[in-house]
Amino acid sequence: MRRVALFLLAIVAPLGAQSGRGSVRARLMGRVPEAAIAVVDSVVRVAEGERLPTEPLVQKALEGAAKHAAPGRIVQAVGAQAEQLRQARTLLERGGGTPPTAIEITSVAAAMVRGLPPPLAGRIVTALPDEPPGPALHAVADLEGHGFAEDAAVDLIVAAARAGLRGLRLLDVATAAVHELQRGATHPAALATVRRALPDVPWPPKPSPAEVNRARRPRPGV
Amino acid sequence: MSKLDPRIHEVLDGELPLERLPAELRALVLRLEHAAGLLRAGPAPASVAGRVLAALHRPEPSRGRRVLQWLTERHVITIAMRPVWSLALAAVLAAVVLVPDHGSAPLLGAQEGIARFVGHFPGARSVDVVGPFTDWHTGVVPLRDDDNDGVWSAVVVLPAGTHEYMFVVDGERWVADPLAGRYVSDGFGRQNALLIVRPVGR
Repeated sequence: MRRVALFLLAIVAPLGAQSGRGSVRARLMGRVPEAAIAVVDSVVRVAEGERLPTEPLVQKALEGAAKHAAPGRIVQAVGAQAEQLRQARTLLERGGGTPPTAIEITSVAAAMVRGLPPPLAGRIVTALPDEPPGPALHAVADLEGHGFAEDAAVDLIVAAARAGLRGLRLLDVATAAVHELQRGATHPAALATVRRALPDVPWPPKPSPAEVNRARRPRPGV
Repeated sequence: MSKLDPRIHEVLDGELPLERLPAELRALVLRLEHAAGLLRAGPAPASVAGRVLAALHRPEPSRGRRVLQWLTERHVITIAMRPVWSLALAAVLAAVVLVPDHGSAPLLGAQEGIARFVGHFPGARSVDVVGPFTDWHTGVVPLRDDDNDGVWSAVVVLPAGTHEYMFVVDGERWVADPLAGRYVSDGFGRQNALLIVRPVGR
């Protein structure tokens, strides 16, 4: 019985993989320039072999096509995206524990594309070993984007995590610091005020019931 | 209440033969057995009135049984309706069945959140938001400006996590959301806005 199951698996698995391949090509056909499809498809295949998330690669090709980018530019962008995902996964695996999910890898890759250098990202991962690092990295990137010094930004977010804030609440720490700036505080004063208040930082407003009722789920295929 | 001789109990329980009792006790046992026989038999309705009363006192069937009975029996149901209403009802049913459901009010999953897109594009004829959630197609999430004040908006359910997006104005002009606050290079020489969607439960 076990042999029969293995035999069937041996036959069906490549067919499944081929149909997956086929669906990637089918999604690109008619939208992405013909000259780019084969290369994008091979990049996706390599990523699949490395167990990287492949949907961001397909999306990057579709984005390039929608923006009327040249085939070479599309291939280049897809390749760069694959490299960012690879770096993100390496960073996440450094923390040990369970293998990172596609969402975590994509989130960390996006944070690094925002300009966080790998050593800095590594510092955050090391400082918060039990924490999915995506939100922490984005929080640091948010602070840097508003002119806060790199080290001070990392220190604040690590302090917030040690004060008990987790996950997306770390983004609220960055938002609180930015609000202090908008109220006229200097960068050091804004950081000091938020640090003193930890872990009490305001929650973002929840969507109203009317807004939730108005919301629609996008259906690209329809 | 007088106490019965224990030997009577023994006879009634079958532990002692009736013949071994003295005559007066034996008579008492016989009377008791006769009375018990009458009680077991129950009073027979003696007349038509008695039988009618007995029927009236029969226990009601349970609610479930009554519902089952109603469902399985034949009924004549008449609905009086003006023809115009029946046509309207038919049209509503046809619309429900035939018109594709492009966006009913959502039931949010635990890993989904609400994203609100707002842009100021005075004079625009159309504004779309595009991103991986639309496969970068326009027409999937159009923004609306119902009061023609140039402020376009849309509220969308998205999976929790990071989403890159851009606005497409009049079907051709690509604009990064100036209010986004977070941007990433798109790899094609522009910047995409970056949105982080929180799950409804946070």
